[in-house]
Amino acid sequence: MTDTCFRMKGTTLTSIVLEVIDFDPDTFESQLAEKINSAPQFFTRSSLILHLVKLLSATEFELLVALCRRFKLQPMAVRGEVGALRSVINDLGLADVSQSKFTESSLKTTKPESTALKEQAANEPAASSPVPTPAAATKPVKVISRPVRSGQQVYAEGGDLVITAAVSEGAEVLADGNIHVYGTLRGRALAGVKGNVHARVFCQSLDAELISIAGQFIMHETVKASCWKQPAQIYLEEDTLHIEPIA
Amino acid sequence: MAKIIVVTSGKGGVGKTTSSAAISTGLALAGHKTVVIDFDVGLRNLDLIMGCERRVVYDFVNVINKEATLKQALIKDKRTDNLFILPASQTRDKDALTIDGVQAVLNELKEDFDFIICDSPAGIEQGAQMALYFADEAIVVTNPEVSSVRDSDRILGILQSKSLRAEQGKPVKEHLLLTRYNPLRVESAEMLSVADVEEILAIPLLGVIPESEAVLKASNQGQPVILDLEANAGQAYSDAVRRLLGETIEHRFLEAEKKGFFKRLLGGK
Ligand SMILES: Nc1ncnc2c1ncn2[C@@H]1O[C@H](COP(=O)(O)OP(=O)(O)O)[C@@H](O)[C@H]1O
Ligand SMILES: [Mg+2]
Repeated sequence: MTDTCFRMKGTTLTSIVLEVIDFDPDTFESQLAEKINSAPQFFTRSSLILHLVKLLSATEFELLVALCRRFKLQPMAVRGEVGALRSVINDLGLADVSQSKFTESSLKTTKPESTALKEQAANEPAASSPVPTPAAATKPVKVISRPVRSGQQVYAEGGDLVITAAVSEGAEVLADGNIHVYGTLRGRALAGVKGNVHARVFCQSLDAELISIAGQFIMHETVKASCWKQPAQIYLEEDTLHIEPIA
Repeated sequence: MAKIIVVTSGKGGVGKTTSSAAISTGLALAGHKTVVIDFDVGLRNLDLIMGCERRVVYDFVNVINKEATLKQALIKDKRTDNLFILPASQTRDKDALTIDGVQAVLNELKEDFDFIICDSPAGIEQGAQMALYFADEAIVVTNPEVSSVRDSDRILGILQSKSLRAEQGKPVKEHLLLTRYNPLRVESAEMLSVADVEEILAIPLLGVIPESEAVLKASNQGQPVILDLEANAGQAYSDAVRRLLGETIEHRFLEAEKKGFFKRLLGGK
């Protein structure tokens, strides 16, 4: 046993940014309800950054936070027109991140978005959700049209890997995004190698030695148990890899 | 323009040298001026199979080191016109072959020959890579068993990544030669079938050579088995050579012989 009780590490996290352009409690509530109903699972327990475009009073701000929580959003930080709200922010257990740097992307949900919500992109999405993940508009795709042979390794950095042939036993294919194999997958396939828990592996015929998504993996014995030599997809849900047939 | 063909496999003892001897003889018989080079430095098997071991004076390494000219080292086959052998050296020094040296010899041979057949040593390291580096085409010799198929797969990966052609973005043409094929053992599931191997390796099938006692007999006599017109292994090699030259011929000897001794023994009521 070691004496160390904890370790501190840095991480990046994708979260939703809620830009507050105007705040009339009733209108705000109905617009927020509509937005969330467009993709309920996506928003449930999403971590949230409140971006105050409009300067709010302390009461308005408290109301805003309460509203968000009622819709099962989890505000964790505030930026923008923070002004005199510092002590309220503190009292509500939130962080003031008005001095931090951000990279942003637009948010894709199933319905057209309102102007109220924006999303922040990073390598590690915050929580797993069964709806499509927000993604940058164009991710590079690497396409391989010859068999990947034993002893060979192919890595698609920053995006998806598409292989239109077989992956041999003893070969290894990796991607930061999804992996598609339009042939028999006999080797190792590692998707989401930089931690993307939404990455998936798809193959025409499943006979893999190992499948890994965001570091979670299963070996051939487990793979053999379902969809063996069948078209299948593998995805991560609640820290477990699931194998599912594709028609 | 001469074609350089490597006979390779990864695994040892699968029939590379037997196949190199048979195929080069077949090409020469078809009227193509052919040279077969033994890249297996240290083992020197090809000259035995070709029955010219007593006529070896200089070898491949001597030519590379400029201790002899190509003309001095090439052995003209006694039985078959148009056929020459460049034997390997007995030296233990595995680094005796250099890329530049090999290239110089191949360039000189290209002037005179239609086909240059390179008999590769086993393995996937230096020696095997040297034999395949300059190849235009590859005959991948595979036995119908898992470890041999796996090694062939590895060598195919190396052909696609570490050959000169791969570096130039022009793939090496691949041929599968399945040897020591025993239909009875395939039927009893002791061996992989032609279809199994084709499915895994996914390259065009050049030929299937049956397991045959004629091969051992031929190598003891120092006479390539393709010259044994009675033997099914010899006939299968002849077919493979014709396919290599562009003909389309049906594959033979894939099924166990109906009147075979075993069939009668097992099937007789
Ligand atoms: N079709 C065959 N049937 C029976 N024996 C074979 C056949 N092909 C090769 N052999 C035997 O297998 C052994 C290895 O063959 P060889 O050609 O020297 O392989 P490699 O060059 O790949 O090491 C030899 O004893 C040879 O006689
Ligand atoms: Mg040999």
